[in-house]
Parts: sequence; structure tokens; C-alpha cells
Amino acid sequence: MSLDISFIGILIGSIMASSVPLILAASGELITERSGVLNLGVEGMMIIGAISGFALMVITDNLFIAIIVSMLSGVIISLIFGFLTQSLLTNHVATGLALTIFGIGLSAMLGRDFVGIPGKDFPILFSSLRESIPFFGPILFGHSIVLYFAFALPFLTNYFLKNTKLGLIVRAVGDSPVSASNQGINVIMVRYCCILYGGGMCGLAGAYLSLIYTPQWIENMTAGRGWIALALVVFATWSPIKVLIGAIIFGGISILQLHMQAVGFRIPVQFLIALPYLMTIIVLVVISRDSRKIKLNTPTSLGRIFYKEK
Amino acid sequence: MATDLRISNISKIYPGCIANDNVSLQFKSGKIYALLGENGAGKSTLVKILSGVISPDNGEVFLNEKNLKLSSPLDAKKNKIGMVFQHFNLFETLSVFENLSIDATEDNKSLRVRINEILKKYNFSIDLDVPVLNLSAGQKQKVEIIRCLLRSPKVLIMDEPTSVLTEQETEELFISLKKFCDEGILIIYITHKLKEVLSLCDEVAVMRKGKVVSVSQTQNEKVETLANKMVGQKLGKIKKKIKISKNKDEIFKVKHLNFYSDDPFETNLVNLNFSVKKGECLGIAGISGNGQNELFQILSGEIITPNTSIIFRNKEIAKLNPKQRREYLMAFSPEDRISQAAVPELKIYENVALNNFKSSNFFEKGLVNERKIKEHSKKILSDFSVNTDNVELKSQFLSGGNLQKLILGRELITAPELLICYNPTWGLDVGAINYIHETLIKINDQEKSTILISTDTEELLKLSDRIAVIYKGKLSKIMPSDEVTPEKLGILMGGGSID
Repeated sequence: MSLDISFIGILIGSIMASSVPLILAASGELITERSGVLNLGVEGMMIIGAISGFALMVITDNLFIAIIVSMLSGVIISLIFGFLTQSLLTNHVATGLALTIFGIGLSAMLGRDFVGIPGKDFPILFSSLRESIPFFGPILFGHSIVLYFAFALPFLTNYFLKNTKLGLIVRAVGDSPVSASNQGINVIMVRYCCILYGGGMCGLAGAYLSLIYTPQWIENMTAGRGWIALALVVFATWSPIKVLIGAIIFGGISILQLHMQAVGFRIPVQFLIALPYLMTIIVLVVISRDSRKIKLNTPTSLGRIFYKEK
Repeated sequence: MATDLRISNISKIYPGCIANDNVSLQFKSGKIYALLGENGAGKSTLVKILSGVISPDNGEVFLNEKNLKLSSPLDAKKNKIGMVFQHFNLFETLSVFENLSIDATEDNKSLRVRINEILKKYNFSIDLDVPVLNLSAGQKQKVEIIRCLLRSPKVLIMDEPTSVLTEQETEELFISLKKFCDEGILIIYITHKLKEVLSLCDEVAVMRKGKVVSVSQTQNEKVETLANKMVGQKLGKIKKKIKISKNKDEIFKVKHLNFYSDDPFETNLVNLNFSVKKGECLGIAGISGNGQNELFQILSGEIITPNTSIIFRNKEIAKLNPKQRREYLMAFSPEDRISQAAVPELKIYENVALNNFKSSNFFEKGLVNERKIKEHSKKILSDFSVNTDNVELKSQFLSGGNLQKLILGRELITAPELLICYNPTWGLDVGAINYIHETLIKINDQEKSTILISTDTEELLKLSDRIAVIYKGKLSKIMPSDEVTPEKLGILMGGGSID
């Protein structure tokens, strides 16, 4: 294996690409959880996004519509969750699990006719720069617009939560829905919005998989990424920037261990496969040790049902 | 401009309980009004209606003869009704400034200027950029008050504001409230503490079982008259006969109790020595935070200190944990009923089972003997007149007084030789306090001993045979309580000397 500089550039580029669905889904879920709602349906919403995006691409041959529809389908499926947990006051955990199972089943059914159909090339930006600049070219350029958006998202999320009024309201609702309600904030409404936003981002994450990363439909193609995204949010202690770091580490080690397997390191394959999970947890635990900060970032009311006094 | 608030025929009915029954009241600015009543009398329901949190089934609210429609907290805010809840409505993980800015309409810069003006005007010192969870209860309350003041309220409602405050903080609060009142804000002060009504308020309305039973000028009232109105019957005066018996056995003896902690929020204890005789009540006075917490935990066995000797019924128990100490017939009633003495989410009988003994047979071969625990719990409920006979009820639905009765009952039903209690009547209403006091006296009459750690001087003088004062982790000399006056105690509690 030649470890020259341009190879490393390409490698980093592919690591970035593999972490995009995690960043998108985790950033969306982070907002949901910050409002105090625990939606375990991330995997289900992602896979619905993946099949609806791919199906619309095949039917309309328009990638833009496909992306929009995948996000919308994420929103719609999360609306079910929102209605059940916020209006009918069902348990967050049980409802979220049901959503994931439902999503996987529904996507398999809808996707039967789309198996084996080849995808379409997604337009990439600055492809000429990618070739002409060594090392940095493949890292910075030649990606889809979704990737640029994904890498900006944690910073936008951070800014939103820390510096905007709406972000403050989301945090307040997650901290104490009763107090927020007594302050005249419409808690149910805020939570609905956060759930729908999370659904939209999960839908987009799914579309990235089926339209851009591996442009085709394969049953159960999210392969547990939704669960990783969920775990990232918790291990990153609800900090958007740490979510980004965690997603890159996970994506990075997933790619690296593939290369290590290919080269034939004398390490058991099972260990290599487990490595991304292990390393991500270790790194995130180490960078999030400050118990005071954890307390300040953790949405106190996470997963608790809120109902208004009458 | 003068403010006139009128409540007319308000009713609110919950399943199984009439919280407010045709309540009509009138308030005018320039005065401080007290709304007095026992726990569960309907005060909180009324103020929740006034602040728009819940809507009444019937009745109307008029502000300056304008009929208010209060269907959400926003309506109350718009109509300049400010409310400081008993359980703070703050966001613990957000900073003070974020808490204040969340419902502000102006930009952050001018808001900060206004907040600083208020801080200066009323002499509050609060760091705006620390998270609220780092503040003391008194400071949190100030944040709530500032939040109301920012909206220049016409009416300010305070719901049992002093239940979490120290005496110093209470005084500061009263000074501020009088200032607000002078500035023309109408103040409605909800409480069950009679003395506060007399020292702070101009007019008092007494509520009982959802109804207003009396409205009067406070200058015409005394503690006794108010108490009787509140409880609805004449309360017997409790007076204990102090007995100083030199020749009785010492049942409990503590020697060389030292405690050192690195935690700046804990108090170190320095060489405490004392003993308790059979049938005696030893009172330990002091302003909270002078080491009472630590002392209670050491006496109950939650903290084990080295080189301390605790002799109980001629046995050395200093190294035993709370459960083992209970087996030797000690019993404990901690200060914090909700988090230390009981688990609020558990049912009554489950809470009773927490305090199990080898002899009680609550558990057989690792299985729960539910029938036995329930029988036992029923006995506690009836023996200690807890206001329910439903052992399946979750403990969090008991009022403070009933929960304390349940805890005392749980501790006493095993007939312990020594009961150690810490602020047993904290936050309770007069009726419950009376009952607890009677119970504690009865224990002594049965030749059992008690150690009463309390911040309430009056309670100590009423119940103790001998009293010592704890100040900064040191214990004063122990005095017979008939030689002690409230003034003497006050001096010792403040760190002075009386010799």
C-alpha cells in the first residue's frame, strides 16, 4: 500500500463522506432531545427517507425533488411519533422503538420494486479543483452539496442553541417543561417542531445513503446507523460540536478498519469491526468528562411526558 | 395609579375535592395582603387561577373593574399580574440572564441594563451569568422576583415564599416586599406561617377547605386567633413538664465526635461530647448550616467518623450503619421528608417496608410479604392519624404533614428507645405541628428518649428538657431548658457568649 500524500487526501475525503449520515441524523436528534423528547425512531426515519428519496428519483428522475421528498417523508413519519407522544401522551421509548420497527418494515415493502435499479450520479461541486490541488483537493472539493451542509450543520446547531431566542426556548423546554409552560411558552408546540425537524434531518440522512453515498436501494441499508447517531448524541453529552467529532471518528475508523482488513493485518476481523464503536465511545467519554458541563447540557426532562394542568 | 383587584365567586372542583368554593375577595394597592390557610386549604389553587395556570370552573377576576380573561400564563403577564411560585419556575441549567431573557421583548443589551438597574435599586447581588443551579434558594427567589419586576407588575403574588429561605433571607425578602408595596404594587402573600402574617401584612384572609372563612385587619389579630380560624377549632396549648433527673441512666453517650470534610459546603464538627438520659429530650439549636446536617448523619450512621465513641444502651455503636443501629432500637427522622426519609414515587406501604427489621418479617426467603406490610402500614396510618387509609397511594400525594406523620409512625411503631429527629415540623401547618409535638412529648412520657435537632427556637423551648446550641460545628454547654430564654439562645446561635 502506497501511503503517499494524495492517497491520504482521498482517504480523508471518503471518511468525511461516510460520516455525513451520522452527522445529519445526530444533529437532528440532538435538537429533538434538547427539547426533552427522546425519539428512538431515528433508524426508522432514516430508512423511510432512504427509500422515499430513491423511489422519487426513479419515478421523477429529479434529484432535487427526491431530496425534498425524503425530508418530507422523515417529517411525516416523525409526525406520527409527535402525535402519539405529545398529543396522546404515550411513552417516548416504546413509541420510538415502534417507529423504527415500522419504518424498517414499511421501507422493505415499498422498496421491493426498486431493488437492483441503478442510481443516478449526484452532482458534485468544484470537481476541477479536486483534481488540481494535491492532498487538499480531495478533502475540500468534489463533494455533494449535502456533505457541505452536513459539516456546517453542527456549527449552525450550536449557534442556534447558544445565541438565538428560539434556541433558548428549546433549551428551556428541555430543562423544565412545567416552568416553560408557566412562562407562557407553548411546550407541546415547541416539542412538535423539534420532533419534525429531527425527522426531516433523519430523512435527509437516509437520502444521502440511497442517493449519494451508495446510489441504489438495498433493504435495510441504514444498517444500524440510526442507532449509532442516537448513541453519539448521548455520548457527546448533547453538544453539537462533539457530535461532529464523534461522527468523524466513527466514520474514520470504519473506513480505516476496512483498509486494514484489506491489507491483512494480523488482528481478528471481529475486533476490527468492533473498533469504530469502541474508539468512538472511548474518545467521547474522555472529551466529555466535565460533570458540570454534562449537567448543564443534559436536557433534564428528557423522555418525560409533559401534560398541561387544566 | 391605584390598583384594585377583585375576585368574584371563583369555584374550582377537582374529582373528589372542592379546591375553591365560591371564593370572593378584594385587594387594593398600597397594602400587603395575606392569604392564610393550612396545606390543602385551596390557596395555591386560587393563585394558580390568578396567574392563568389553571382556569376556574366558575367566577370572574376583575382588575380595576376590567373583567380579565386568564386562560394562560401569558394573559396574566399581559395584565401585569406577577407570580412567584413556591416551587420555582426557573430553568436550572440556563444562566440567570437566559432565564430572564426568555420572555423578554427587548434586545439583550437593554435588558441587561434594566436588570442591573433593578439589582442596584433593591440591593440584590446576583451574578447574571452563572447557571441557576449554582444559586442558593434565596437567590433563586430573587431571580423570580426580578423576572416579575421586569414587567413592571401591578400585582405581585408570592406563594409561600419563605418555606425555603433562611431567617436572614426572609428578613431581606420582607424589606423588599415593603419597598414594592410603597411603590404601589399590590402584594398578595400566601402562607401558613402565622407570625409572618402579623409582622408583614396589613390585611389577612383565612381560607379553610376551599372557602374564605374570615377577612380582617392584622392589627386586630393574634397568633392564637388566627390559628383557631385556620384550623377551625381551638388548638390546645402544648406545654411540657420539664424534668431534670440527675440520677437517671444515660442511655446514649457521644464522645470525641470529630468530623472533617474537604467539601466547602459541609461544616466540620469539632469535638462534640454529650449524652441523653432515659425519657429525656435533648434539644440542639442553631441556625441551619452550622453542622446539623453532618451531626444528624453521623448519629444515624450515614457517615462513620474515626475515633468517635457512641455508646447506646451500653454498647459501642459508632461503627454501625443505620440499619444496624435501627436493630438496636434507634429511630431516625431526617429533615428532608421527600428525598431522605421517603421515596415519593413509591406507594405508602412500600415506603413502610423500606424500614424493615429482622423481626418484622416483611420479607420471607427473599420474597415480599405484601399482606403483612400492608397490615402493618394500615396500623401506622390509623395510629398516627394520617389522613388516608389507602396504603396503595403514592407517597408524593400526601401533604407534608401527613407524610411526616407517616414517617414518624414508621419509625415509632417499633417502639425505639431513642428517636433522633431533625426539623420534624419544617414547612408544616399548625394542626400538623401540634400533632407532631404531642407525639414527641408522648414518647418522653413513655420513658423513651429523643434528640431534637431544630432551627425553630420556639419548638425547642417547648419540647426539650435540656438544650445545647451548635455554632460553626461546635456545641455549647448543655443547659436545662427552664434556665434558657429565647434571647439567650439567640445570642448563642449567633456565635456570642452568655457567661
